[in-house]
Amino acid sequence: MALLDLKNIRKKFDSTEVLKGVSFDVEKGEVVSILGPSGSGKTTLLRCINFLERADSGTMEFDGTSYDLGTISKKDMLAIQKKTGFVFQDYNLFRNKNVLDNVTLGLTSARKIPKDKAEKKAMDMLSRVGMADYAKQYPSQLSGGQQQRVAIARALATDPEIIYFDEPTSALDPQLTGEVLSVMRKLASDGMTMLVVTHEMSFAREVSSKVIFMDGGVVAESGSPEDIFTHPKKDRTREFLRLEEKTK
Amino acid sequence: MQDVWQVVVQSFPQLLSRGLLMTIPLTVISFAIALVIAVVVALVQFAKVPVLRQICRFYIWVIRGTPLLVQLYVIFFGLPSIGVNIDAFPAAVVVFSINEGAYAAETLRGALESVPAGQLEAGRCVGMSYVQIMWHVILPQTFRTAFPALGNELIDMVKNTSLAANITVTEMFFQAQRIAGRTYQTMALYLEVAVIYLIFSTVLSLLQRLGEKKLSAYGRQ
Repeated sequence: MALLDLKNIRKKFDSTEVLKGVSFDVEKGEVVSILGPSGSGKTTLLRCINFLERADSGTMEFDGTSYDLGTISKKDMLAIQKKTGFVFQDYNLFRNKNVLDNVTLGLTSARKIPKDKAEKKAMDMLSRVGMADYAKQYPSQLSGGQQQRVAIARALATDPEIIYFDEPTSALDPQLTGEVLSVMRKLASDGMTMLVVTHEMSFAREVSSKVIFMDGGVVAESGSPEDIFTHPKKDRTREFLRLEEKTK
Repeated sequence: MQDVWQVVVQSFPQLLSRGLLMTIPLTVISFAIALVIAVVVALVQFAKVPVLRQICRFYIWVIRGTPLLVQLYVIFFGLPSIGVNIDAFPAAVVVFSINEGAYAAETLRGALESVPAGQLEAGRCVGMSYVQIMWHVILPQTFRTAFPALGNELIDMVKNTSLAANITVTEMFFQAQRIAGRTYQTMALYLEVAVIYLIFSTVLSLLQRLGEKKLSAYGRQ
């Protein structure tokens, strides 16, 4: 059974329909990349399934329980948010907390884990992303790549079933992108379940177990990286990949 | 008429002690209560709590739209005529708290709204509840942003407490008026009390700057 199974998710902003019935699933341990042009609904989808936006309708099966996204309760949302991690495009580290406190806060406040235990866990996670030496620094003192690695450590620390990445390298220059992607590759090889909205074609191609191509608010095509990159079936997919190739 | 310098020297400890025993406590107590009011009123608006939100808007509208001196008169001289008697000092505390509460609420609301939405979203994504995020993430950043403005309001309040002399609170300016009336050295006395207010304000400005430095520990944003 899939860890995450999405069926027919719809979302309108005013009269603009951004998601027009999105369905796919993510197995435990899989890395699923979502590709697609701007405005295709990729980010909105991630935000809807982690309740930063409310979807209008659709069902989501998560960790063995099924939820109606149109009517899901606040309590269920919070419970699911405790089992997921989220990495933002612009990091969103807590600006008033140092690196260590950024990682421990979700443990000490939301999960009532004692401070010393939380700090030990946080230091382990910071080591995993190569940021242990920066524990006492504030986010404003770090580069974008370093902030994003801390954000990944923060997501990891809560032992999530899955981590959602919303264009995690789009705000970074190529060198910083490289350091974040290498952390993500490591997570993938450790067996972390990841759902990644990205424009990094090589990452999607080499790391994903499944690639989803979204266009116009629906899943236009999905399959193995081999299927999508080497034998795309739809014209729209081919065109998108050709354009992405050209801008590299 | 007594010698000017003699009056100034003799009155100084009397004025200063009124300042330290009345002006400062009146300011500190009122400002503390005002901050509590302001946090509640700002949060109600920020969280868009229905009904309460309209009540808060009404409160701010009335308080900011009427003079502080008139508010003092309403509470101290007006209320007794409908059978509510409040002593001068508590009446002043009530008025200054409610008055400053309205201004500080607007300052805090502005600061709350300046915290990026991503901070709240990041909190939700690590599983924190709304209250937990407010307490650990949003409010600390809000106070940091609002600190300079609140500092100015505190300094304003120190000076505004002189209005309490009008409702018989024996604070520093009241004392100055009394001595001036007795000695006829009006110019000297009012300049003297002005200097003491200036000293109080200067000390507060220095504390404000110190506080800002301490708060900037987490760097530019």
